[in-house]
Amino acid sequence: MALCAAAASTATAFASSRLSASTARPRGPSSTSLPSFVGAFPRAVAARRRRRAAAAAAARRAGVTVRAEAKKKSVVIVSTNSGGHAVIGFYFAKELLAAGHAVTVLTVGDEGSDKMKKPPFSLFSELTSAGGKTVWGDPADVGAAVGGAAFDVVLDNNGKDLDAVKPVADWAKSAGVGQFLFISSAGIYKPTEEPPHVEGDAVKESAGHVGVEKYIAEQFGSWASFRPQYMIGSGNNKDCEEWFFDRIVRNRPVPIPGNGMQLTNISHVRDLSRMLSLAVEKPGAASGKVFNCVSDRAVTLSGMAKLCAAAAGVAAVDIVLYDPAAAGVDAKKAFPFRNMHFYAEPRAAKEALGWTSSTNLPEDLKERYAEYAASGRGEKAMTFDLDDKILASVGKAPASVAV
Amino acid sequence: MAATASLKSSLLLPSPISDFSGAAISISAQKRRSSWQPRGARVQVSAAADSKNILVMGGTRFIGVFLSRILVKEGHQVTLFTRGKAPITQQLPGESDAEYAEFSSKVQHLKGDRQDFEFVKSSLAARGYDVVYDINGREAVEVEPIIDALPNLEQYIYCSSAGVYLKSDILPHCEVDAVDPKSRHKGKLETEKLLTSRGVNWTSIRPVYIYGPLNYNPVEEWFFHRLKAGRPIPIPGAGNQITQLGHVKDLARAFNLVLGNPKASQQIFNISGAKYVTFDGLARACAKAGGFPQPELVHYNPKDFDFGKKKAFPFRDQHFFASVEKAISELGWTPEFDLVEGLTDSYNLDFGRGTFRKAADFTTDDMILDKKLATV
Repeated sequence: MALCAAAASTATAFASSRLSASTARPRGPSSTSLPSFVGAFPRAVAARRRRRAAAAAAARRAGVTVRAEAKKKSVVIVSTNSGGHAVIGFYFAKELLAAGHAVTVLTVGDEGSDKMKKPPFSLFSELTSAGGKTVWGDPADVGAAVGGAAFDVVLDNNGKDLDAVKPVADWAKSAGVGQFLFISSAGIYKPTEEPPHVEGDAVKESAGHVGVEKYIAEQFGSWASFRPQYMIGSGNNKDCEEWFFDRIVRNRPVPIPGNGMQLTNISHVRDLSRMLSLAVEKPGAASGKVFNCVSDRAVTLSGMAKLCAAAAGVAAVDIVLYDPAAAGVDAKKAFPFRNMHFYAEPRAAKEALGWTSSTNLPEDLKERYAEYAASGRGEKAMTFDLDDKILASVGKAPASVAV
Repeated sequence: MAATASLKSSLLLPSPISDFSGAAISISAQKRRSSWQPRGARVQVSAAADSKNILVMGGTRFIGVFLSRILVKEGHQVTLFTRGKAPITQQLPGESDAEYAEFSSKVQHLKGDRQDFEFVKSSLAARGYDVVYDINGREAVEVEPIIDALPNLEQYIYCSSAGVYLKSDILPHCEVDAVDPKSRHKGKLETEKLLTSRGVNWTSIRPVYIYGPLNYNPVEEWFFHRLKAGRPIPIPGAGNQITQLGHVKDLARAFNLVLGNPKASQQIFNISGAKYVTFDGLARACAKAGGFPQPELVHYNPKDFDFGKKKAFPFRDQHFFASVEKAISELGWTPEFDLVEGLTDSYNLDFGRGTFRKAADFTTDDMILDKKLATV
């Protein structure tokens, strides 16, 4: 067990291309590179770990050494043209290019479409100047879009159901792609009163992503599925922290549904791209697995509002809690996060890939705020119709919450 | 009552570790010795090189009851330091007569008051111990005489508390996180500091809420009383506050795994369950464990009431849970009980047999329910 762990930690050190950037959250002495924890079925996990350790011991006796796989690969990322997941493929492409892999990003639709004026698409020169290829086309015919090129790895960062992903998977299989990766969603987990969602927990069988995961598991020997939640990071296509900044810089209250104690995962997208890169570097370790693609800390909704205020240099934030039904609003339209605990932990990535989280919300949000402030968005005229409706329904002066 | 209890037991989930079976212990012994023993070799535990002379401060009430059994089975010489107010040993439900006789014949008692620092120092110095498990220490000043008396102490294993973590909107609590110097558990923090400053080889364990048979803190018992009485369960706030329970047997196994473990030297480990639970979820899990119908949950705003000195709910009204990932990855420990299994174990071996520590007191419940009725 000790030697198996040493091999894993060597591989992690080899594969790691960055030191942790977080300064505000000191990390004590810990070996996060040791294989550890999957959680849902502890006795089965313990038994499996004993078997794996025994297999590693057998390999050592046979003189086989464990090495990180450092081969350069050619990767195609099928990218959505909008939405919160778009930024994942962008960061993943940048990381792969920096590591010397060959990358093609196939974005759905037309290069000339208005959607391409928004980030991360507007930043694609960062990919091409690093040697990446960007093409546009229809995921129903990937072969044509990539001009018949061959690839080792496919990441589908586009489809939400089998209708969208099947053509990509079928093309990949017929083209002899070795590894199929899929961006799924942590939204497929069945709600639970025992958080967090861990890999192996029950999912909603009717969810489109679930159908995709089942299909690629049947079709590919080497596949992995990644279930993200919310992300922050430059180049994001969808608002996240901006929603809070918009209100904070205008001295407006921040309306939050429920009691504000709902926990959620808001990760820096670099944590997600790091996980994907490790899966490419260690396909054997990633094979056949689902990974919660999130940082290893959750934050409460009220906590996020307070952190955004602190990042904006504001001493207090007016949080107004409300009941969406009583206020006559649809919480999905009025608020950018789910009105419930939506909390997953990245246990499989830590155990199988030796991945570690680097998200540090207090620090990361400062950087996000700097970009927000520089963009001039804070000075733009904005209307807050739903907020006003909520505040009117609540009818009381919001109390300041010290950050 | 007994007939009903046994009928309920047969309908409930099986208790995986309801007894102190040798199997569970040999797994942990194998894990700990795996770095220098060939895997698969049955580890022979004998009172030879690996056997330690262990002093447990406490050990007759809850955690120590289970821990001391594991230590004796591992072949160590175990002495319990207590005032003797509770029986030194008691046969546990599910423990065979033979097992109990074996344990009670081997475990030793040192009678004394740990607040009598002079006595602690002189009696410990006279006997000498290799390892101290401090299960009931609260203040640093209680620990000084122990360290003074045992200059050759190999390891001081301390039962701290996750209550030392500074309240945060970012969770779970991890061992590296900020602690609260003003918390009511600050004595635990001062103890950890003292151990460091004195150069002792220490290990600190931070449990969250501990549960299991013999629990003297009314955690699961609080719910079981209400479920048995067919009463609604009053829960403060929205009931979405997240807490975490850790089974005492899993905790005892963790305490055993740090013994003589170089990975545990000067280290802190959170020890609790693998998953967390909302207040509402916990009420429902207790119902499942005891074979009760799902209860009515009544939510209330605690600020609307003055409960005086009484506690209306057994948990802190906030999120409170800690990651146990460090212990899992570094000690090879895994929590064996999931929540419903663990609550079932507790119910089958304790409350379900008619035993409990605190009698039911529904005073605060009635205040809450009366007010709810009045506002309808």
